Amino acid sequence: MRPARACCAILAGAWVIGGSVSAVSATLASKVYLVSIENMQFIPQKLTVRVGDRVQWVNKDLVPHTATADVKAFDSRSIAPNASWNFVAHHAGEYGYACTFHPTMKGTLTVVP
Amino acid sequence: MRTTYTALTGFLLILATGAWAQGAAPTDPQIAAIVVTANQVDVDAGKLAKAKAHSSEVRKFAQLMITDHTAVNKSASALVHKLHVTPESNATSDSLKKGGDENLAALKKLHGHAFDVAYIDHEVTYHQAVLDALDTTLIPNAQNAELKALMVKVRPAFVSHLEHAKTLQNELNKSAK
Repeated sequence: MRPARACCAILAGAWVIGGSVSAVSATLASKVYLVSIENMQFIPQKLTVRVGDRVQWVNKDLVPHTATADVKAFDSRSIAPNASWNFVAHHAGEYGYACTFHPTMKGTLTVVP
Repeated sequence: MRTTYTALTGFLLILATGAWAQGAAPTDPQIAAIVVTANQVDVDAGKLAKAKAHSSEVRKFAQLMITDHTAVNKSASALVHKLHVTPESNATSDSLKKGGDENLAALKKLHGHAFDVAYIDHEVTYHQAVLDALDTTLIPNAQNAELKALMVKVRPAFVSHLEHAKTLQNELNKSAK
C-alpha cells in the first residue's frame, strides 16, 4: 500500500518513480519531477519544486540538449537523445535556464523552501 | 555568395513543379534519400565552417549543425534499416547533393567576415527550403507511418536552426555596418 504523501505522488507536470517500499520510505519527504525535452522545448517550461526535490530532464528529441542555469546553479552538459539528467534542488531560488546548444529553448525552475 | 542560392532554388523548384507535380509523388525510398542527403549536405558545410569561420558564434553554430544533423541521420539510417528501405537517389536528392557541392566550392573561395555572411545566408535559405519541402512534399507523401513520424519529429529542430541562423544573420549584418 502506498503512503498518501509518498514521494511518488503524481502532480500536474510531475512524474512518478516506481520503487520498493524501502526506497519510497527513504525519500518520503521529497518528490521527483519530470521535465520532458521534446519538440525543442522544455515541458513544462516553468516548474516549481521544494528544496530537496529531484528534477529529471528526459531528452525525447533526436538531437542532444542541455539544461543549463543562467547563474551556473546547475548544468547538465550534453544530454543525448533518449538519455536523462537529474538535479536535486538544494537551494531556494528562481533559476532561469536554457539549452546552450539551442538558444530558443528556455525554461524556469523555481525552488521554494 | 548569391550563386550558392542557385542550387537551392533548383531544389525548391523540383519539389514544387518538378517530377512530383506531374503526378509522380516521391516514394518512401526516394524520401529517405532526400532526408539523408539534406542532412549530410549541412554536415559537410558545417565541417567547413567550423574550420574556417571567423566569428566564434558562427563556429559554434557550425558545430551545432554537425552534431544535430549527424544525430538526425543516425536516427534516419536506423529507421530505414529497420524498415528494410534502401534509399533511392532521385532528381531532388541529386539536386541537393549538387547544390551542397557548389556551396562548398563557393565558400572555399571566401575568408573572414565574407565567409561568415555567405555561410549563414546559405544556412537560412537551406533550412527554409528543407522546411518547405517537409511541409509540402516529404511529410504529406510519406507512406510509412514511422518515416512520416520521424520527419514530423525532426521538423522543430529545423525551425530552431532557422531561427538561430536568422539571429546570426542579423548580427553579422549589423557588424558589417
